[in-house]
Amino acid sequence: MNATIETHQLEKVRDDFTLGPLDVAIESGLVTAFVGHNGSGKSTLLKSIMSLVKPTSGEIQVLDTNITQSENWKKEMAYLPQDKLGFGPFNGHQLRELIADLYPNWDDELFHRLVHDWNIPLSKKFHSMSPGMQQKLALALTISRGTPIMILDEPSAHIDLASRHILFDVLSEWMEDGERTLIIATHHIEDIRKLADIIAVMKEGQLIAQEDKDSLAQTYTQYWLTGELPNETLPGEVKRHEQSIITDQPASFEQYLNQHDQSWFKKESLSLEDTLAFMLTI
Amino acid sequence: MQLPIKLSEQSREPIYHQIEHQIKALIASGQLEAGTSLPSIRALSKDLEVSVITTRRSYQNLENEGFIKTSQGKGTFVANIQASFKKEIKHDTVTKAFEQAIDIAYQHNYTNAEIQDIIQTILRKEGER
Repeated sequence: MNATIETHQLEKVRDDFTLGPLDVAIESGLVTAFVGHNGSGKSTLLKSIMSLVKPTSGEIQVLDTNITQSENWKKEMAYLPQDKLGFGPFNGHQLRELIADLYPNWDDELFHRLVHDWNIPLSKKFHSMSPGMQQKLALALTISRGTPIMILDEPSAHIDLASRHILFDVLSEWMEDGERTLIIATHHIEDIRKLADIIAVMKEGQLIAQEDKDSLAQTYTQYWLTGELPNETLPGEVKRHEQSIITDQPASFEQYLNQHDQSWFKKESLSLEDTLAFMLTI
Repeated sequence: MQLPIKLSEQSREPIYHQIEHQIKALIASGQLEAGTSLPSIRALSKDLEVSVITTRRSYQNLENEGFIKTSQGKGTFVANIQASFKKEIKHDTVTKAFEQAIDIAYQHNYTNAEIQDIIQTILRKEGER
């Protein structure tokens, strides 16, 4: 596996919250989407990778370099935080100049295409733009950096549907060369559907799953039984709801029913959205 | 180009198989002619809302079986397929559709004679058109 980012026993302890210890590996060529409730630790993890939060213990490697040992890796990464601190007093032209200077592979053509497609008023000061416009400008300023790694914390926050579709197109184009690494943290199921290859599920500071999107969507099957539900817990049973049972072991579940002369009149695998919601609640 | 592929989450057939079969069927039926350029793995993954891992697997299988060709920097194209091979795939595709229909009929406890009746009725109706 070609991991571009790896954490080893990464831990961040705060008064009311502990992240980790986490061993996460992010592969290149893929889009990894971090999902989880607010406060699950997604942003803290991403900030730790960007060296904006100091871990309590453990280490982080980016492109085989321990991030505390050199600063060179920073030029290889583009990061979109949720709070765009420091942008306020500048207009789009000024921000472009400041940021383009820092990144040797800055893609000015892509930047201007996004400014055009998203109708971003570059002469307006950042703090006087609407939240949606601020997000689009910040995205354009991040995606155009020409880096091999990009981390976007809530990329589609505040932006309208049409702009979001442009974002999906641009990000999949950005991934086209097959070597780049994109990490997003998101609450939007559409971001996950359209962009994600790997889904990393975070719950209460822990990583509870990290799997290929299409395999993850096969995790749970729901069966509606004919006749009364048996009293005992069935193979792989994770939940009962009225006449139905959800299992994560459909093969042994069906075998059990056949052996006990029970049948079902409907079976469905849970949708990706329901699977994620379910994983985060059980 | 957007390929007319429809995936079923509820099918027993794995997603990468579904993609493979449907592209084969499009090639066999002539809807995708030899030389037609196919979407990139990333673009197709976005359209079908699946992981690139799945799409890559489908493309690799199709390439191994000679249905498509990838050339560095130029993209992926439909390969030349022999007419006899096309015929075979067409036959497979139609057979499969009937098998699925018959499966459903069996699930509803139909007998072979009853299934044949249904097929005859449908054919008669089609003939009137």
